[in-house]
Amino acid sequence: MITHDELEFARPDLEALLLEVLTSVFTEEAYPDDSPLPDGDLVTARLSILEEDGGSHLGVEIRTGGVLARLLAWRMFGADDPREPDLLDAVGELGNIAAGNVKSLLFHAARLSLPGARLDGAAGPIPPEGSTGGPTGDAADGRAAPVTVGAAVLGQVVRLTLIPGADPDGLTWPPTTDDELLETQP
Amino acid sequence: MKILVTDDSKAMRMIVVRTLRQAGFAGLEIIEAENGQIGLSMARSEAPDLILSDWNMPEMNGIDFLRALRGSGSTTPFYFVTSEGSDEMRETAAQAGAMGLIAKPFTAEVFADALAAVV
Repeated sequence: MITHDELEFARPDLEALLLEVLTSVFTEEAYPDDSPLPDGDLVTARLSILEEDGGSHLGVEIRTGGVLARLLAWRMFGADDPREPDLLDAVGELGNIAAGNVKSLLFHAARLSLPGARLDGAAGPIPPEGSTGGPTGDAADGRAAPVTVGAAVLGQVVRLTLIPGADPDGLTWPPTTDDELLETQP
Repeated sequence: MKILVTDDSKAMRMIVVRTLRQAGFAGLEIIEAENGQIGLSMARSEAPDLILSDWNMPEMNGIDFLRALRGSGSTTPFYFVTSEGSDEMRETAAQAGAMGLIAKPFTAEVFADALAAVV
């Protein structure tokens, strides 16, 4: 399982990854920002990366406020007042882009789940960094503490959190290759 | 030119279509599918000139979509547009018969360069 220390070592790359994703998606320059998320509406995209060696999961969450989520949906759909499904689709896709790049950065053999997205931060609480485990950052149950990097674009904060050993419950996965199935396709 | 855009995200399908136009490609007829299974069916019924497909999708993922397509004898140009752009993914895509892989996030310039040979 990827550890907290390995994620901390990769922090500069994760920060650069988040900046690049936000800058490209919004076509506006993003910049590092560790400010807290705004009060009020939060939208969270959640995915999981399954390491094929060992079978452990790395949770990936992108979280931002409702203002940026609506801006993102507007840019994607062109709708001034996006419906909730479109809002979740837009933020889910942002999470998908970030997680896919995280997977490419950190893993050789792994699978990426499909994204899930929820409003009001209802994806579940993200443990604060260092809140679990002992001095090494490893939790007593073997899981490692999450690592979070932050950035802002258009004046709005976005946080990318990686959670070693995160429970992928509730997420769906793309089907795996089934050669027998393919051979029987008409 | 008829282009099939396959992605489970409606937002991403819209971005791909918009980026194709921003890349300067004109006279396009765009058809859309939300997963590989529907994409495969549409590829057979609509005979697109080009297929742009996500990799991770429900029902049938992009690599299985491509393999089924090639297994049926289709030589339609096929590009992946995916968040995962590792060397391993590109090699897997090429071995399955893809002409290329465009990694997200992408720009109109990347689209123009990647697709110039076929659009």
